[in-house]
Amino acid sequence: MNAVLEPAAGTPLLRAEGLVKRYGGVVATDQVSLTLGHGEVMGIIGPNGAGKSTLFGLLGGAFAPSAGTIEFNGEDITALPAAERARRGIGRTYQIPRPFLDMTVRENLLAARFSLHPFEAGRVARAACDDILERVGLADVGALQARGLPLLRRKRLEVARALALKPRLLLLDEVGAGLVDAEVTELIDVIQGLRQELDGIIIIEHVLRVVRECCERLAVINFGRKFADGTTAEVLASDEVAAVYLGTAHGAPKATPAANETAATPQVDLAPLVSMAPRQDAAAPPLLELDNVHAGYGQARVLNGISLRVRAGQVVAILGTNGAGKTTLANVISGTIKPTAGHMRVDGQDITGLGAHRIARLGLSQCMEGRRIFAPLSVEENLMLAARDVTPGEKALRRDLVFQLFPDLKERRHNAGTSMSGGQQQMLAIGRALMSRPRLVLFDEISLGLAPVVMDRLYESLAVLRAAGLTMLIVEQDVERALALADEVHVMEHGRIALSGPAAQIREDPMLRHLYIGTAD
Amino acid sequence: MSAIVSRAPVPAVPTASPSAQRLWPWATLPVLFIVLAASVPLLSDYGLEIAFRLLLLITLAEAWNLLAGYGGLVSLGTASFFGLGAYTLTKLLSDPSDSIILAMLAGGVVAALMALLVSRAVFRLRGLYFTVGTLALAEALRLFMVNYRGLGGASGLFLAVDPPAQREMVWLALGLLAFATLVVTLATATRFSILLRAVRDDEDAANQIGIRPFRIKLIAFLLASTLTGMAGALQALKVGTVEPYGTFGIQWTVAVLSVVIIGGQGLRLGPAVGAVFLVALSELLAEYPALQLALTGAILIGVIRLAPLGLVGLVQRLLARKKGGTR
Repeated sequence: MNAVLEPAAGTPLLRAEGLVKRYGGVVATDQVSLTLGHGEVMGIIGPNGAGKSTLFGLLGGAFAPSAGTIEFNGEDITALPAAERARRGIGRTYQIPRPFLDMTVRENLLAARFSLHPFEAGRVARAACDDILERVGLADVGALQARGLPLLRRKRLEVARALALKPRLLLLDEVGAGLVDAEVTELIDVIQGLRQELDGIIIIEHVLRVVRECCERLAVINFGRKFADGTTAEVLASDEVAAVYLGTAHGAPKATPAANETAATPQVDLAPLVSMAPRQDAAAPPLLELDNVHAGYGQARVLNGISLRVRAGQVVAILGTNGAGKTTLANVISGTIKPTAGHMRVDGQDITGLGAHRIARLGLSQCMEGRRIFAPLSVEENLMLAARDVTPGEKALRRDLVFQLFPDLKERRHNAGTSMSGGQQQMLAIGRALMSRPRLVLFDEISLGLAPVVMDRLYESLAVLRAAGLTMLIVEQDVERALALADEVHVMEHGRIALSGPAAQIREDPMLRHLYIGTAD
Repeated sequence: MSAIVSRAPVPAVPTASPSAQRLWPWATLPVLFIVLAASVPLLSDYGLEIAFRLLLLITLAEAWNLLAGYGGLVSLGTASFFGLGAYTLTKLLSDPSDSIILAMLAGGVVAALMALLVSRAVFRLRGLYFTVGTLALAEALRLFMVNYRGLGGASGLFLAVDPPAQREMVWLALGLLAFATLVVTLATATRFSILLRAVRDDEDAANQIGIRPFRIKLIAFLLASTLTGMAGALQALKVGTVEPYGTFGIQWTVAVLSVVIIGGQGLRLGPAVGAVFLVALSELLAEYPALQLALTGAILIGVIRLAPLGLVGLVQRLLARKKGGTR
């Protein structure tokens, strides 16, 4: 495109040969080779923790490979640091966005621009950055500090910043996570538009629609190795790939257990973890009740009158598009945000405005969006921390039950909490929420950014908890899984509840599709 | 929006258009310096003494703020560059006809050369390790000076010429501050500041978008060391003597750090406000040096705890709140 010295015809845009990355004794990437031709869009899929992001780190230059070579446009770039690769045209995004927090959104892009063209006229640079912001839908927040952006907008900023480099090759790391269908459609349009301008794109993605509609070829990574590759249709149709990765999300449920996540949940008596309550009759006050709750951040009103009830033993799901206010609602319930109007009651008693720690003491536990594992603590310490004010024996009992529920955690009990794969971290977050023997657990977007097969596994354990009588409030992006688990469903829109009713009834309601999926296909 | 943040975003300086924002220092600062210069002849001896201290401290704080506030490079090595500047000037000025300005510049250059020399080593360290690395540098230099007879050893050197009159010292200090202000304004009101802050916020991510962090940090480090070295030279000229414990002592480092933290890190007005505050405090409590130290410590703790962006940040926050309330 912009290079003057075009190498010989037939040279691929990117060729990686036998890449290996070892961390001490752990092999994160093992003999991975891949080739990307000019104009190609390639997808990389695989379970959480398979080494996909590590591969991007190697390609982008964040760290040096232990063995293997990388050629970009015929040039050996294996030894080049990230900055030099970026200047040659490799742009990458981080799976967990890393914006420059104390700079404005526009400055985030200008940094890329000025690093490449230090003497470009400011007017030209700003116009170019504003074009990109417009394109990814961030034009309205250009002057805001990046710190003020919520997660999904930070993801857009990741893409925008990589584009500000005017890259030839773009590496997109899970930019589709957490988007609802209409937004996924938007993302696919953006990627399709980019393929006209860029020389090549590699996408790591769990959202299969993106993979299916954008990529010609797929590589499957498992345990750091390339497990399979081929055309998108071939790979997605493969039984082996279904077993290690796709799970039930793709076609009929498979009987084969997942390869790298333990499958069948053992039947255990969960009474010490689950504060069981008989299903209440309608006359008793509900365990949790929200009455016309309003809340927001500063000037922004996010919740405009939410009323809902959760009875003991019930599973209630809250659905809605991004920006509908689901996470804000979760924060209000946990007490991290105070409602500006309305009431919240537990067992009929008004608890509006109570601090988060006091709400937790009432038996409301939260499994927060983004997992929030304590990084310096081990898996076991993360669990033990959550059980306060109980005897050591009781603590150990609860811990062992969590280990039975999630055997993966037991194997890794002494590892650092954040050293595990995304799925295992989510198990830890769920286990931690149970350690206080809560009366109600709020699960906030637990499937965000997880491989389909891992989502299956998590929802299986939620079903076990439900059977044990745990009262749950589930905030979820994945409609199907939530509907399958919940007794009652509320669909939010613009900070209000637009639709509620029993799960079976909501499933049939044409309004669900209209409200949630929007005008997409 | 399903916001992750629990706090409202800090509003960027509102109203002014970006270009107006970038232009204001160029319009207001020259006027400020003319006013300051015009007031020098009016000062009493006491006033001159205070003015010198204030100007020197603001210069040092400007340099440190560039490094730590804008660059995220929290250095405890101020004393090393300050001391090198001081020794250089003392060694060079042997005859009354020698140029003071050139000797000061030489002090800055020697400090910058030292910064260049150690940059490879200290930039390998990040965060706290960088801080400790620079502290080690200052200590190493002090011990070297104590033991090296060629530069007077523990008893130090005396300036061969008579120091200029006090009023002249204030002119020099004002000139140096004007130079420092020019350098720091150039570095913080231009696109260099965007690159520097990008490296501060996330060095890896900056690398990933083509910024070469080493170069950016080195430029900031060299600028700050030059200014610090020149300030050291000026102090040596005023005192007329240098010795390792005073010029390479940690007290300079701590004073500068306190000024910037109390004033406001990474904020343009932070150093000046912090210096005025601390000098005023020390004058008010001149009779009770122990109390002054304790109070400075308590204020530091309070500011770090309650107003991480210092006094300037606190005022900005209050103004923003007031504005938000009346809207």
